[in-house]
Amino acid sequence: MKRSILVILSCFFVVALTARYGFAQSENSIKGKTLYTNKCQFCHGIRGDGKGPAAEPLMRHPADFTDPKFWQEDVVEKIDVTLKSGKEMMPAFDLKPDEIKAITWYISHTFKKETQYNK
Amino acid sequence: MNRKKSEKVFFLIIVIGLMQLLPVTNAWAVPSFARQTGLPCASCHTVFPELTPFGRLFKLGGYTMSKSSKPYELPPPLAGMAQISYTDFKGLTSCVAPFDKTNRATDKINLPQQLSLFYGGRIYDKIGAFVQVSYDGVDNKVYLDMTDIRYSNNTILWDKNLIYGLTLNNSPTVQDPWNTIPAWGFPFASSSVASNPAAGTIIHGALDQQVGGIGANVFWNNFIYAGATFYRTTSNGIYKPLSIGTATEQVVEGTAPYWRLAIEHRWKNHFFTIGTYGMRANIFPSGYNSGPADHFTDVAFDAQYQFMGTIEPEDTPDNGKPKPKAQKYNITAHATWIHENQDWKASFPIGNTANPNSFLNTFRMNFNYCYKSHLGDINESVSYFSVTGKTDPLLYSSVPVDGSITGSPNSNGFILETDYLPWEKVKISLQYVIYNKFNGAQSNYDGYGRNASDNNTLYAVVWFMF
Repeated sequence: MKRSILVILSCFFVVALTARYGFAQSENSIKGKTLYTNKCQFCHGIRGDGKGPAAEPLMRHPADFTDPKFWQEDVVEKIDVTLKSGKEMMPAFDLKPDEIKAITWYISHTFKKETQYNK
Repeated sequence: MNRKKSEKVFFLIIVIGLMQLLPVTNAWAVPSFARQTGLPCASCHTVFPELTPFGRLFKLGGYTMSKSSKPYELPPPLAGMAQISYTDFKGLTSCVAPFDKTNRATDKINLPQQLSLFYGGRIYDKIGAFVQVSYDGVDNKVYLDMTDIRYSNNTILWDKNLIYGLTLNNSPTVQDPWNTIPAWGFPFASSSVASNPAAGTIIHGALDQQVGGIGANVFWNNFIYAGATFYRTTSNGIYKPLSIGTATEQVVEGTAPYWRLAIEHRWKNHFFTIGTYGMRANIFPSGYNSGPADHFTDVAFDAQYQFMGTIEPEDTPDNGKPKPKAQKYNITAHATWIHENQDWKASFPIGNTANPNSFLNTFRMNFNYCYKSHLGDINESVSYFSVTGKTDPLLYSSVPVDGSITGSPNSNGFILETDYLPWEKVKISLQYVIYNKFNGAQSNYDGYGRNASDNNTLYAVVWFMF
């Protein structure tokens, strides 16, 4: 009996943790997607390849998030610094840390291939 | 000028001076756009209000690009503009508008020529607006000027980017992002008191602030642009608020469709555009708002070339060679030809025109060279313009200065302009308009001894943006 209760409780605990993690992921995903769509997509593109509608007239093309080279450095810091300080034609954005985190999460989970993801 | 007038002039100068001291962090073309995006004005303008390729996309994006994470702008994206000007040509007086109570339309000094307040930027999420409320120093009136409220979004179609959007505006062609079209074409400022040729096409400003329209536009693959807007009169109905302060003198019957098709191509730093636009409008004769209407069909072709030399060149491979330096100049050339068919179904029977139908052709081209020095931006422009059409002694009758003894609408000439921007928010322009032919003739064109060259106009204007 004790064993059964322990198993049920363990299962419940695992399910709750997974659900919470899933919820957090889904929250990040929704928030990140919304922010990416509104702030980044016009230049970086729907596919994250740096070929958005506003990229065409720029002499330096926006970062390509589908390019493995982009993920070779410390991407979290790179995105954080670029969003806060701007870079070339990209302005500095007024974003809170959790918003930057959500964008980073969305970019890395949407445009980067799983095998390359190590953060 | 008496003491009271001098005091008013002095007060205005002080106010404009103080506006320059407002604690803005940056100075831009319509500064609220720049405050919203965090981008410098040169991102969107060569010399304001002429747009760069990126500026055109900002406009097509519905003025919504923003550095803020909120779906709205706080504080609201407001900006202002003041223009003071001096005009000189034969027949003007040395009085100052709007302080002259007798005839402001002949005053050399317009202080101000125009004051404007803009709402320029995002309204909410994907909806943005360019709304201009102006005070006209010559007409001494406040009115709703250029208005373009847009919705914009983007997606992928056939593996390429597609920007799509809606517009609600009050002036045909104001929604267009190229500077070949009448609403945003060269010259970007002109005198409010100078004499102008009698003839002009409907699409070239005749319906500004007298119609309201809803339209849609698409831009696919940064290559093909297509748009259509359907206008109705502002004399009554839901569009009435779009003409606040402007009397609807040109009453459109039913719906007047406007269309636009353009192709843009980029090759390195060179941007080429060719396109067509036009409008069909049935307009009641002056003083009527029912009964038969005159039919106008405007068909236009335009072309633009832009060399964007002020942006850093593309990264070169890391082969040890030094990167090429950014060029500090840009060149723009615009040309547009408009053909208007005029079917005087209403005006001819009541004796307002001598012909049952006629036509007008207008042509404009200009070449701008902008050099960005450390002392400020210097822009040189030269433009040629012409109007030709069918002779009509009733439509173009013989009256002093603005009339025609021959009944011909034909006019042509050149515009030379120099602009200097010591700071991004101040533009000083010196313009000279030279007429070879005015309302059909070079000499005694009005039958009262006035020559075309008597209308040659020296115009100096200072723009302040804040």
